[in-house]
Amino acid sequence: MRLFDPHIHMTSRTTDDYQAMAAAGIAAIVEPAFWLGQPRTHVGTFEDYFLSLVGWERFRAQQFGIRHYCTIALNPKEANNPQVAGGVLALLPRYLEKDGVVAVGEIGYDDQTPAEDEAFVAQLELARAHKLPVLIHTPHRDKLRGTERTIDLLRAHGFPPELALIDHNNELTLPLVLDAGCWAGHSIYPATKMDEPRMVSLVQQFGGEKILVNSAADWGVSDALKVPKTAAAFAAAGIPEADIETICWKNPVRFFGQSGRLDLAEVAPVVDQRELFEGNSVLRGQSPRVDR
Amino acid sequence: MASLETALTSRLPEEAASWFRQALHKVRAKGEATDAFLIMWSGASRRLGQAPIGAPSDDEKKLPFFPVGWGADEFGRTLLLQGALAARLPEAHAALINELFVTGDLRERQAVLRALPHLPAPERFVAVGVEAVRNSAVPVLEAIACENAYPARHFPEEAFNQLVLKCLFCEVPLARVVDLARRVTPELRRMVEAYASERRAAGRSVPADIALVLG
Repeated sequence: MRLFDPHIHMTSRTTDDYQAMAAAGIAAIVEPAFWLGQPRTHVGTFEDYFLSLVGWERFRAQQFGIRHYCTIALNPKEANNPQVAGGVLALLPRYLEKDGVVAVGEIGYDDQTPAEDEAFVAQLELARAHKLPVLIHTPHRDKLRGTERTIDLLRAHGFPPELALIDHNNELTLPLVLDAGCWAGHSIYPATKMDEPRMVSLVQQFGGEKILVNSAADWGVSDALKVPKTAAAFAAAGIPEADIETICWKNPVRFFGQSGRLDLAEVAPVVDQRELFEGNSVLRGQSPRVDR
Repeated sequence: MASLETALTSRLPEEAASWFRQALHKVRAKGEATDAFLIMWSGASRRLGQAPIGAPSDDEKKLPFFPVGWGADEFGRTLLLQGALAARLPEAHAALINELFVTGDLRERQAVLRALPHLPAPERFVAVGVEAVRNSAVPVLEAIACENAYPARHFPEEAFNQLVLKCLFCEVPLARVVDLARRVTPELRRMVEAYASERRAAGRSVPADIALVLG
């Protein structure tokens, strides 16, 4: 079964990860623009980050047969930094027009401050202007309240719920998100956020409609193979294969497909690494992979 | 009468052709803001698609150039860029080309590089072409190095030599480098010979197309 990891920060990961992901069946990924562990101090470093998401990282993924899409936004944590927030928002119209940018994200709340409200609303407007869905981060601290505020804000601005994917859900937030008509993401983590057995229970209770799972793997303790591992946990628990395919492939395709920029024909590219072998590329001496 | 514009639009679905005609009309209009141009340029690919441009008709063979093998997006972006330059003072040209290259995604960068020989007084943009050879995404390297007359015409010797070496390293066939023979110098021969001995010393194969340089 082809798998889709709809939330993974590959700029922080190695080629070993790409290799293992491809071997485990991951054929497409979405890399959301987010923070980098420590605060940035210049607008220009955001621009270089956006450029790596639409450039080098896309190329790197292709060499392992993985189709790389991204989302672009001012993230909620750095929305609180007045040194960069305005300048980053001003960059977005150009970057949101680029190929392979399939949503505005990650937007949403972190500390739930007025500055975050302002950036959130401004980026919902950008999503409308560029005809893109939105990928919404929910806070780790005071998550339930942050999720309620997110849903209220979407309603107050008349933003279509089917164009919103609210991420990092747990047992308490998922029912609210589904009731609101939004898509619900779950980040499967080794220790925090959500884990495989809990995710199995949620799917047994709520089914697969509008449910997504992701690894949210980044520079912290995380696991780039959590989507295949969760799919295996679903199968071991007797969840029908059709439902697993809905959650781990069809739902990300449906949600991000609303951008009009997710071309399914591109999703399983033929890999030919020969032209890169020995080049100044990510392949350093190992045998290139050639699909026939 | 064939024109570059109709060569593109006649190969596009009507919706894309109509988008392109309007876009070209806007970029040719004096006073169109650079920000608006950059946004239009970035969005061009998903409107025009990336299908390769096929062979020219007899009429089209008389055009100033014909982009066999380019994507529709690359051809369309080239024409938009020609229009945008024509609507701007010459002193603004280099900055615009640089901006498009530096802030471009892979396909946008490819389009800038393929367009270079077809722009007015193209020698002004040599820094962008040389910088492109330092990039490591192979499709971007191919856009400047392959089937492109620009490097042989305008690169200084050192930069041209680096391009040839980079192609060898990335296994981009040297036969695709336009007018390579005309730019072979003793220094390029020395560099390619050194590359070949390094490969032999490491027990690796030596690409046959070094003969295009060493003779």
